[in-house]
Amino acid sequence: MRTVIVGAGQAGRRTAELLRGLDAGHDILLLGEEAEPPYDRPPLSKEILLGEEHPRGLMQRDAEAYDAQRIALRLGERVAGIDLGAARVETNAGERIAYDSLVVATGARARNLPIPGADDRRVLTLRSMADARALRARLRPGLRLAVAGAGLIGLEVAAAAIQLGCAVTVLEMGERAMARCVPEAISTRIEAWHRAAGVVLEFGCPLTAIRPESDALHLVTSRGVIAADLLLVAIGAIPNSELAREAGIAVEDGILADASGRTSHPQVFAAGEVARIWQEAAGRHIRFETWQVAQHQPVAVANALCGAQRPYAELPWHWTDQYGRNVQILGAHGAGLDWLEREDGERLASLGVDAEGRVQGAVLIDNGREATPLRRIIAAGRPIERDRLLDPSVALRQLC
Amino acid sequence: MAWHDVAPEGDFLEEIPKVVQVGEDRVAVFRLDDGFYAISDVCTHEYALLSEGFCEDGKVECPLHQACFDIRTGKVLNEPAEIDVETYPTRVEGGVVQFQL
Repeated sequence: MRTVIVGAGQAGRRTAELLRGLDAGHDILLLGEEAEPPYDRPPLSKEILLGEEHPRGLMQRDAEAYDAQRIALRLGERVAGIDLGAARVETNAGERIAYDSLVVATGARARNLPIPGADDRRVLTLRSMADARALRARLRPGLRLAVAGAGLIGLEVAAAAIQLGCAVTVLEMGERAMARCVPEAISTRIEAWHRAAGVVLEFGCPLTAIRPESDALHLVTSRGVIAADLLLVAIGAIPNSELAREAGIAVEDGILADASGRTSHPQVFAAGEVARIWQEAAGRHIRFETWQVAQHQPVAVANALCGAQRPYAELPWHWTDQYGRNVQILGAHGAGLDWLEREDGERLASLGVDAEGRVQGAVLIDNGREATPLRRIIAAGRPIERDRLLDPSVALRQLC
Repeated sequence: MAWHDVAPEGDFLEEIPKVVQVGEDRVAVFRLDDGFYAISDVCTHEYALLSEGFCEDGKVECPLHQACFDIRTGKVLNEPAEIDVETYPTRVEGGVVQFQL
């Protein structure tokens, strides 16, 4: 059996390594477009910007580690096409590689600003190690950095840049920080950390044009023109699903996959952020842009490749680290939830409770100890009295 | 190598470790049902304090990314960590819990 994995990021690495762990006899080829061996991305917007060369969280192994696992890792090779009928992929160099099973793990790319001037060299995005190094090389004390987007990546970069002595302004079209993933009270706390550090936050402030001048980028916003030396665009990601779509695989903002990662073609699987995965509990396909999906959904794929069932059904979870504070976000955070706060000194658990009294989601600040009890509480789906949820003498683990 | 005091035996709560700093090493000492166990307090994946993590059935979970370690043996039980944590011998001397480092 030969499995070809297209995309040597975290999901590609995990698929290859898990597959090797399940089947010693499988022939595994991992193809990556970047020159770098696979790495996890969370440190790119934090440690790498602050000057650490090889943070442990990259999980970056050298080539020998892949040899030792008998995973054929080929870097710097882009796959140009998939021929489903012949069951082979073709590289940019024109080489044709046959497969029995194909895993598409091509990830996502940063969304660009569709406005005039966005192609200037002082306008950057952050997605890859090369992007992170290019950004780090330009962050200097006194540099005027503008960040478009007050999501996770924009705010992590803002936090790193202000620590490096830059003058940082964040421009956000919406009304608050991390609005897609935390309730308003948490946004307010996060905004306060940034303002205390000296970051200027502008909400309700869309960027409509960039006028590149020799002395600065002139950023045209609804609040007037802001001068910046560098603009980081951090307004979300787009799945790299073109390769699959052009081959004739069903794609709808991500490659449609069942909970085992199977696509519309029986020999083809999708792993990680490029996949829009059927979630039984939600009754729909969902595309996740998280470390969690790249780490754990390949468990489903590798098992399916070996004929076993391990459907992906994890409670959504992600985190951000800013100013030495750790924020973890669990489960749902949509409208219609009432948010209750349990505070214990510096630790916070904010619980999103529905009309029936069931905890549906949670945000933890410096309180990772409560993540597992909360996962269990959310999974159990039982209504819990508000007084008990808020009683500091009742540990969350007692409510599981 | 020396023995370091942690706390009187009766001060320990199950599932809540006590932490002692010795030079550059941070050691977390746990009370389990069969005795006291000392491990390095720092996760081997990314920097995080295991003493801040969830603890159950002789296992401690890293508060950041959910790697788990066996408190008795230091063995890593699941990813993303891949390296065991250090363990240290413990004893109770005159009612005081100690570990050796």
